[in-house]
Amino acid sequence: MAMIEVKSITKSFPVKKYDQAAKKYVKDTLTVLRDFSVNFDQEGVTVLLGPSGTGKSTLLRCINGLETIDKGDIIVDGMSVRDKHQLRKIRETCGMVFQQTVLFPHLDVMDNLTLAPCTLLGMSKKDAVERAKQLLDKVGLLSKEKARHNELSGGEQQRIAIARALMMNPKALLLDEITSALDPEMTSEVLAILENLASEGVCMLAVTHEMAFAQHVASRILFMDKGSLVCDASKDDFFTIYRKENERIASFLKFIGE
Amino acid sequence: MQVFDFAAYARFKWSDMRMILKAMGVTLHVTLLSLAIGTLIGLILGLIRCAKNPIVNKLPLIVMEPLRNSPLIVQLFLVFFGLPSVGIRMKAMQAAVLTLSLNTAAFFAVLVHSSIKSIPEAQWEAGYALGFNKFQIYWKIIARQAIRLLIPQAITLYISQLQCSSLVSFLSLMDLSKAGQQVAQKTMLPFLIFGIVAGLYFVLSFPLARFAKYLEKRIGFTI
Amino acid sequence: MGGYTLNFRVLLQYSGLFLQGVVLTIKICVGSMIISFFLGMLLAVMRQSKSRVARFVSTVWVEVLRNTPFLIQLFFFYYGLPQLGIYVDALVVAIIALGINSSAPNCEVIRSGLMAVKTGYYEASAALGFSKFQTFTRVVLPISLRLAFKPLTSNFVNLVLTSSVCYGITLMEIMGVAKTVSARSNRPFEIYLILLVVYCIFTYLVSFVAKAIDRKIQIKL
Repeated sequence: MAMIEVKSITKSFPVKKYDQAAKKYVKDTLTVLRDFSVNFDQEGVTVLLGPSGTGKSTLLRCINGLETIDKGDIIVDGMSVRDKHQLRKIRETCGMVFQQTVLFPHLDVMDNLTLAPCTLLGMSKKDAVERAKQLLDKVGLLSKEKARHNELSGGEQQRIAIARALMMNPKALLLDEITSALDPEMTSEVLAILENLASEGVCMLAVTHEMAFAQHVASRILFMDKGSLVCDASKDDFFTIYRKENERIASFLKFIGE
Repeated sequence: MQVFDFAAYARFKWSDMRMILKAMGVTLHVTLLSLAIGTLIGLILGLIRCAKNPIVNKLPLIVMEPLRNSPLIVQLFLVFFGLPSVGIRMKAMQAAVLTLSLNTAAFFAVLVHSSIKSIPEAQWEAGYALGFNKFQIYWKIIARQAIRLLIPQAITLYISQLQCSSLVSFLSLMDLSKAGQQVAQKTMLPFLIFGIVAGLYFVLSFPLARFAKYLEKRIGFTI
Repeated sequence: MGGYTLNFRVLLQYSGLFLQGVVLTIKICVGSMIISFFLGMLLAVMRQSKSRVARFVSTVWVEVLRNTPFLIQLFFFYYGLPQLGIYVDALVVAIIALGINSSAPNCEVIRSGLMAVKTGYYEASAALGFSKFQTFTRVVLPISLRLAFKPLTSNFVNLVLTSSVCYGITLMEIMGVAKTVSARSNRPFEIYLILLVVYCIFTYLVSFVAKAIDRKIQIKL
């Protein structure tokens, strides 16, 4: 059984659309994911590629229960996201890092890391601090444990956010375009951390536009377009066979400059 | 419980209501007069606060700070009960209007100052670059934007000054609050009378408060 | 000044009385600050809640308080409560009335603090596994109270200035003492001048301390 099973889910958002005939805004729905199914095992790094607005982020947010799904179901480690009582456990299983850096501004780095394990897992403060130090060391920011979010660069904040997600000892990390808001230098420092984690066997599910990351670190690549899965292949197949045979993928890769 | 003794409400006569309404006139008189005077003085003080000279722009603070940082009731008593001993005598009405005007002026000056200061420096530079002189920039660019920020805040200040005007009743002026006290004492119906009086204040200020909020939404813009 | 010589020394004999007044003022202010803070927080949360009823109650509460004078509110409680069969001390009435009165501005500033917390923080906390309640108490509230700290202190300064109105219900707080002493000593000008200065110094002191604390705890979003 796969760790995450996405079973033909549909997700749509209410939007306002301008109706030319009636000359007013009318309520409409935008279907982002349509009858979408995919499985993820707890191994390696899966990268989700595809043009903007094709539902990659939405898929991650649905897995984490941040969005409620209209149809279908997602089973994470035997638990359904539709079950409100399991949601906490699911979020413990899948740590998530966002595009916008959201370190809690009222806490320093150390407290940002220890807050969740202490309150939710009942970890003792001492153990939490110890674990936090290990993780900070891993992301190369041990010296910043007393810093506040505004004393850190965007890249450093994202590295802390990764460490914060790892504090809960998740089985998988969901990464939602975590380098999109960063400049190239910071991006590469964050990607280096991710590469390190991948080599240590941390399972990741990443939405990204960083082709270098996809080529070097990914083991599996999903290509999505308009709410459905175009291709699900190993990295090598994707960059050789699919790139030649699938026109949609070829034009996307060409457009992105790869 | 006496509140449910409905027969007692007959003690409240039409003449009492007339007295309250007449007193509302006094409240309006005091408030409107001092708001008008206060706005004028406040505008001048506020503009001086915006002066370039670092000494000149601090001068208004000498008047403004004590007025903003002490209770209005102390100011009223200082003027009405205190000043006579140094030879300055005035009627309760004059003391009330004088004090309330100065008090309004102090707060209004702050609004004027902060509204003008919140227009970005770049607009001045843009104005100079177009060849306007200082006065023209003030009048054609700065003032028109500042006033949009100022008006809703000024209305909010006016509302709060209307509430504050109730304190002139301590100078035994027959304003809405004083009349309320007297009628409440006479009829022994404090719930009803103070309810009515509060309602009258509310009727005067709530529409204004709504209007201020509407203006803030409509013409308010953040820079 | 028209041959009038200021004489502050006469007032020294009343210093004990003034001290009592100060103590009473402090009692009123501290009590009502506590009430107004928690009530303000409750109202702010109600105003932000999904429940229509809660929003309506909070809105009406705030609007009524903001659009009627404190003096009338004070009289309403002082003379009205006995009519309901509730007999309480003038001090208690003052604390309750002032606390309720100040809850309105406190609600406004705490509410804008709450609104300044971006959805990203809610999502980040949810993704860590926090429940809605935990997200609120551990993340949202600490952030918004820090944001609201400075306006809250200026509300509290206003509360202290407003507390002088409580003299209207025969309380011998600092203003009440001043009125009595001015009648006894016949030195009203000096007394009210001192009072004015004392209040000013007090306000400056508070805003100075508040600024220092604010610099320490303030966060940039």
